This record gives sequence, C-alpha cells and structure tokens, in this order.
Amino acid sequence: MRYDTIIIGGGLSGLVCGLRLAKAGKRCAIISSGQSALHFSSGSFDLLAATADGEHISSPSEAIASLVERTPSHPYAKIGAEHFVATAEAAKQTLLDAGVRVEGDAAQNHYRLTPMGTLKATWLTMDGYVRATSDEGLAWKSVVLMNAEGFLDFYTQFIVDELRKKGTTCRVSNFSLAALDNIRNNPTEMRSANIARIFDKEENIAALAEIIARGAGDAEAVLLPAFLGIDRADVLDELKRRTSREIAIIATLPPSVPGIRAQIALRRAFERAGGVYMLGDTVVGYDEREGAIERIYTVNHGNIGFEAAEFVLATGSFFSRGLVADRQAVVEPLFGVDVDAAADRADWYTRDLFEQQPFESFGVASDEQFHALRGGRAVENLYVCGAGLSGFNPLTEGCGAGVSMLSAVRVSDNILKK
Amino acid sequence: MQKEFDVIIIGGGATGAGVARDCALRGISALLLERFDIATGATGRNHGLLHSGARYAVNDHESAEECIRENMILRRIASHCVDETGGLFISLPEDGLEFQSKFIKACLSAGIKAEAIDPKEALRMEPSVNPALIGAVTVPDGSVDPFRLTAANVLDAKLHGAEVLTYQEVTELVMEQGRVVGVKALDRKSGEMREYRGRITVNAGGIWGHNIAKKAGVTVNMLPAKGALLIFGHRVNNVVINRCRKPADADILVPGDTISLIGTTSSKVPFDEVDDMYVTADEVDLLLREGMKLAPSLEHTRILRAYAGVRPLVASDDDPSGRSVSRGIVVLDHATRDGVEGFITITGGKLMTYRLMGEWTTDLICKKLGVDAKCTTAERPLPGSRKEERERTSKKMHAVPTMQRESSLYRHGDMAERVESSTAAKRSLVCECEEVSVGEVEYAINALEVNNLVDLRRRTRVGMGTCQGELCACRAAGLMAEMGRYCTSRAKQDLAAFINERWKGMSPVAWGDTLRESEFTKWLYGGVCGLTSKTKEE
Repeated sequence: MRYDTIIIGGGLSGLVCGLRLAKAGKRCAIISSGQSALHFSSGSFDLLAATADGEHISSPSEAIASLVERTPSHPYAKIGAEHFVATAEAAKQTLLDAGVRVEGDAAQNHYRLTPMGTLKATWLTMDGYVRATSDEGLAWKSVVLMNAEGFLDFYTQFIVDELRKKGTTCRVSNFSLAALDNIRNNPTEMRSANIARIFDKEENIAALAEIIARGAGDAEAVLLPAFLGIDRADVLDELKRRTSREIAIIATLPPSVPGIRAQIALRRAFERAGGVYMLGDTVVGYDEREGAIERIYTVNHGNIGFEAAEFVLATGSFFSRGLVADRQAVVEPLFGVDVDAAADRADWYTRDLFEQQPFESFGVASDEQFHALRGGRAVENLYVCGAGLSGFNPLTEGCGAGVSMLSAVRVSDNILKK
Repeated sequence: MQKEFDVIIIGGGATGAGVARDCALRGISALLLERFDIATGATGRNHGLLHSGARYAVNDHESAEECIRENMILRRIASHCVDETGGLFISLPEDGLEFQSKFIKACLSAGIKAEAIDPKEALRMEPSVNPALIGAVTVPDGSVDPFRLTAANVLDAKLHGAEVLTYQEVTELVMEQGRVVGVKALDRKSGEMREYRGRITVNAGGIWGHNIAKKAGVTVNMLPAKGALLIFGHRVNNVVINRCRKPADADILVPGDTISLIGTTSSKVPFDEVDDMYVTADEVDLLLREGMKLAPSLEHTRILRAYAGVRPLVASDDDPSGRSVSRGIVVLDHATRDGVEGFITITGGKLMTYRLMGEWTTDLICKKLGVDAKCTTAERPLPGSRKEERERTSKKMHAVPTMQRESSLYRHGDMAERVESSTAAKRSLVCECEEVSVGEVEYAINALEVNNLVDLRRRTRVGMGTCQGELCACRAAGLMAEMGRYCTSRAKQDLAAFINERWKGMSPVAWGDTLRESEFTKWLYGGVCGLTSKTKEE
C-alpha cells in the first residue's frame, strides 16, 4: 500500500500533522499504538508559560524572541520567532476545525484551575472549563462544587481552600445517583471515563440536571469535575440549558475525559478528510533506499509493507515509547535516529522530581526543517514532531502541547512545500 | 509532677520495639520515643531476610546459632510477618564446590538444617535459579516483613501498658549527679520541647545511637556501613537464593510480598550522611550484575526502586568493608563500663535477633531495678499472628471481595476485621496495585498512628506497587485531609514530599518502564496538578 505521508504516532502531534495534510489533499495514514498523552490532559493546551529558569511569562508572543535567542536548539527556535504567532494560530485553527472548541490567545496567557485548586498559566482551554484572566482569582464570588459520592479522583477540599484564599466562597455538595451504583459497587470502576459514559445517557443527564437545579442554591456558578461528555460533546450545554445555570468544569486525575474527547474529535476529522487511522498497530521494521525511508512494516500487517514519500515520527517521549532508555543509553527505537541525551546515566536525573529533570529535555535530534538526523545527517523524508523532539522542557517552560502542535504544523507545511 | 517511667527507650526500630514489648510483658513501665515513624532506620531498610544463620555459619558460629534459634521462634510468634519460603545456597562454576562441604559442616554444628541437593533438584524447587549452578544446599531461610514485625511489637507493648510516641527526637539526656534520669525531646509535629523522666534510659538508636551515647558523655564507637538494595517489580523467586561462598556484595535474593529484593553492597559512609542515603548508579549496576548470577531473569525484570540502609556495626577496627566486624549483640551497661548510672546501650545484632536483644536488655533492666520476672516473648504470639483468630476473621469478612480480603488479612492478620468494609464506599480502592480500600486507609489513619503519606504506605502498602503511588497518593492525601489529619495545604505539601520520597528510590533505576512511570508522574503532578517543589504551607 502506498501513501503520500505516513505518520507514526496518533497523539496530539500526529493528529494535527495528519489532519492538515489530509485537508490539503494528501493521502495520509496514521499508525497509532493506542493511548496518547491526551488521555491525561488537563483540558488546556500550554504554549509558553515560563523561561527555562522558571521565570513567569504572561505573553508568549512577546517572550518568543528572547527564547529563540537564548536557546537556539529549542523547537520554537526552528519555527522562528517571526513565524511563531501564525503557527500557533494555525494550530489553534486545526483544533477548531476538528470541533475541539478552545479559547485562548498567544498574545496573552490565561489561567486554568488545577485539581489542586491552584491557577496555572495556559494558552488554550477547552470550552466549558474554568478559566481566569489573572492568577488573582475567579470572576465569581460564590460557587458550589458538586461531586459524585465515592469519586476519589477529585478531592473537593483542595479546591475549596484555594478558592477561599482568592476570594471565592465555595460550597461542596456531594450527590449520589442510582445510575452510578453499579460502578460504585465495583471497587475499581469509579473513574472519570466510566462516570462520563453514564452521563452520556439522556435519562442520566436529566437526573443530573435536577440534582444541579436542587443543589445550586444562590451560587453564581456550579463547578463539576471533568466526568461529563466522553462520546458526546453537548452534555454540558444540555445541563446549562436545562438548569439555566452557569456551569464550569475542573480537571480530575486521569483518565482525562476532555483529552479523550479531543482525541476522538481529531481522529474523526482526520478520517472525514480522507485519512486512514490504524489503531492498535505498531511499526516494527522498515526498508530504506539511498538514505531515505522506503517502506515500513507493522505488527498487524506482517510482511505487507506501507510505502510513502514522506514519513513523520510523532511517537512521543518515554511514556509513549518514542524514546526508550535502557541502563546504558537513550535510543529512538524505530529508525535508530540520533538522540540528544546525556551519556552517563547519573546525569539523567536530579534529586528533586519537581525540579527540571535532564531526561525531560532528551529527544530526537533534528535539523531546522525538523528532519530526523542519523549519524549527524538529515534523513530527507523522515520528519520529527511532538514530545519526542529534543531541546525543550515541557513542564518547566509550560510548552508541551504547544511544541507538539506547532512542530506538527511546521512539519506539515514543510511536507506541503516540497 | 511529671510521671516517671521505669524505662525510657530511645529508638523505634525492631530492637527498641522488642525492648518495649519485653518490658511491658514483665510489668515494667516503659516509654518508647522515636524521632520519625517506627521502623524507618535500618529496620526498614534491609532484605527482610529471615536468616537461617547459614550465612554466618562459617565465620561467626555464635551469630549463626542465635539466628537459627530466633528463626524458629519468629515462625511461631510472628507467623503473619513471616513467609516460610526456604532457602538455597548455590555454587556457581566460578565459586567451585570447595566451600560447600565446609559450609554444610558449619551449619550442622550451629544447629542449622543444611542439606546438599542435586542442582537439577534445585532448579525444580526454584526455576529462576541460574541453571549453570554446580551445587546447591537447602537451608531454613525465609522472609520477614520488618515493618509489620516492629508494628506488632509496638502494638503488643501498648496493649500491655507501654507508651509509644513517634516523631519525638531526643535532643538531650538529662543528667543528675552523673546519672541519666530522663531525656529532653523535640516534638517534631508541634515543634515543642518535652521532658520525660525515667529510672533507666535505653539507647536503641541503631547507628544514631553513636550520637545518643555521646550525649551521656560516653563513647560507643560505631561504624556506619551503607548497604544498598534493589526491589524488583514482581516475585522473581519463591525461595531465598544465596551464593555458597564467603559473604560478598549482592549475593542474596529474597522474595517478599509481591516483589523480590537483591542486596546488598557494603561501603563505609561518614556519619553526616547517614540520615540521607542515596543509591548511586554504580551501586545499581553492581547489584544487577551480581544479582543476574543468582537469577539470570533479573536482567529483564523491571526494577521498582533502589534504597539503602546503614548497619549499626560496633567497630573493633577500621575495616572499610564492615564485614569482618562481628554481627554479635552488644549490651553495654554504662554504669559498669563508664561509671554512668541509669543508661544502657543495646546495639550490634541484626533484625533476626531483635527479640533476643530485647530479652538481654530487659534482663539487665530487671537486674538494675530489682524486678524478678521472666522473659516470655519467645512463647507469646504477637498480635496479628493468632492463627485461630485469623480464620475467624476471614469468615467474618466473607462479604469483602476475595483479593481485597486476602490483602487486608495479609497485612493486618487477625486485626483485619477492624477494617470497615460494610459499604461500597468503604470497599472502593485507593490503591489498585496493592488492593488497599478506603476502609483500610481509614483504619490505618485512625488506629495505627499515621501522620503522613509515608507512614500510611508503611502500614498499608499504598503506593508500593508497580505504579509507585501515581494516583493513590493523591487519593490518600485527600482522605487524610478529609479525616482531619491535616489541612489541605499540608496535604499538598505531604503529597509532594511523598512523590519525591518515591522518586528518591526510582531515580537511580530510572530507565525502561520506571522512567516511563516517572515521566507520567511528573506530567500528572507537576503538569496537570501544578505541584512544585515550592508547594509549601501557606
């Protein structure tokens, strides 16, 4: 089988890249082994929230020039300060086109509410999630926080106490619902995605709406944990419509319902645009000719190879196995391309996990066009995008989702330019 | 006027707990003070090997005899802490068979049942053993849960009138006319200083006893020897595997609970490092290299974490390996030794002989106090180990899902019935890896003196499975705050501390799946939840 482009990795980066290529008329396939980092998303996408030294950034578009100058190996430096805002806008538009409703602007970060109740700077936040324009507090003076009894992955008191510090009174109202009893009786089942599947059902939406209407009192807004709307996107709208209440969502511990929904939306948009999404398959081998990748082989398709003019490596970092570390070294397991990583294992980590960890910046080496390097030389038809790139710290700099999406946009542009 | 105890015991390791229990059973009023949680020093940082004594048989006949006697006693009195796995001493081609005959002879003369078996038979007994072995000897080794053992001693001491206070750090010994009459201690929870009076003070501080002795102006010269170990992600072997040769690095592989442990290294460390032992990448490599000779499959087995303890060896000379020093029990009566009345140091020995150390110390206490009471600790089962009670408890818990019930019984023995399991909410799981329910967490928080998540982990195994506390840590912190253990600011601080405590053990082995898991933990807590190392009490 032959495609124009084959993307290996079906997470945020691979999907953004694939969707843009498919929409531009390319015959495109994505090979995905399954779970991606979207499954534990916060419901927001970060672009640039701090410098590598941890200095706070409020305007990514203003800060980009200095970042590019100071860290020329950063993926954003390869995109270039002058293209940064347009690339970010294109990434955002890709989400919107797929039906992932987000709000936010590269000129000015806003704040999301964490499950710990703190406010954290971010770029795009999914529709319906609690947002704040500054870290000083929410727009509401009084809210009611509702949680399902027995749901342990969302601890209300953390949020109550933090909001109080920032001037919002927060009352907690726990509810039980007969429809939840079944999963509550199984000790491992009371998880966000399972609850969301129950609330996807019409009769349960009606019951929840009643609970909200009863429990909301005179609060300005009702806050709910992110256990709504996994297969359908309109659950929150329905609840708002039926209760005539302001309702907003707060992220929970994984699995992430908004992340899963975004993943599904992007995948469907990709398929609607003519893309082929091969779920649950893993690339295990490849042929090359004259220094270019010719075809790849997967577990499910055995010796039937897939050929393409261009290949994109969007396999993520360690968690997704885009990078693999053993006792001696960090490698890129599919093509064995160059990896930027410290040679000595003792230099991979520091003692405080919450500080910057060297391993977080390890990744596949690439040139200015995001070609993967092998033996220091670019592989002309193999591009890299996403978390597997080297040279940035997704957490310290608050740029993980941004690097994933913007590098994907740039790789798709580079392919289309060819 | 303050209450005066007969005895103040400093140190909540197995030894201190053993002394406290023995005193309490003999009607002596005892106060045990521990600066952190129980079993946080060397007690909680070793193999958890129920030594048969075979390891010492050739070089230290006395220790070997003590070990096998205590081994048999612990099987009786602490059955819920002991796994009777049996042990093998294998000879590899590089070891030769010369040592084996000497070894068997020495074992038998110490009363240790040692029997040479065919290497093929050894492979049948323990399929994970190195198939290249040329000889094997069976011995009555086993494994023991050091925390559970200490906790059971503490519990029984309290049931018999002893007081046990954790997070009380002794800062000063109160001296009057050359006699120790009590201690001053910092309450680490409130920050207050407290004074306790006792007719006799026992220094059971392990390696930290070196500095406690100094406070009385006496010198007990200890040699801190670091021992590093690795924990593997599953139970690789069901039988303890040792090397049949002169004791060396990383030559014991012990199955415990759901995991296996390889250890140890031995290296001299300075006293200022004993509070914070990190395992280096080189130590990890050594442990793995040697461990693979015992069980080749270790090469491909996930390592959960690395940790290290400090042996409180009493130094006779400056031996850097710390191995030629006797592991024998040292009871020092500072009245006769140094002219300081009312002060005893108990040290040396090992986890295996904690009960005997308690007996000898309490014998000395009785002599000094003029109390005429016999030691009964060798006969009386510890709480949790009463077999008929356990069966009755298991029946009473029939409504609890099997895995959960077994896990709970396994951890708490016959005390498991105190775990609330009547509703779905109480049965819902906080920790999936280790099947720890809300009810069990609540029981531990209410009844087992839990001050933080690390204390909770020791009592329930929350966060000890393959995920090393990914989701359960946050759930448990929430429950702790809900039950009023602390405010939410402290809860978050505790959560960050717990995650970093796990990282301390994971970072030296952070490759493969352990690195994947670490990256995920960081994303979750550093990213989604926004915790930082600066998450402090506000």
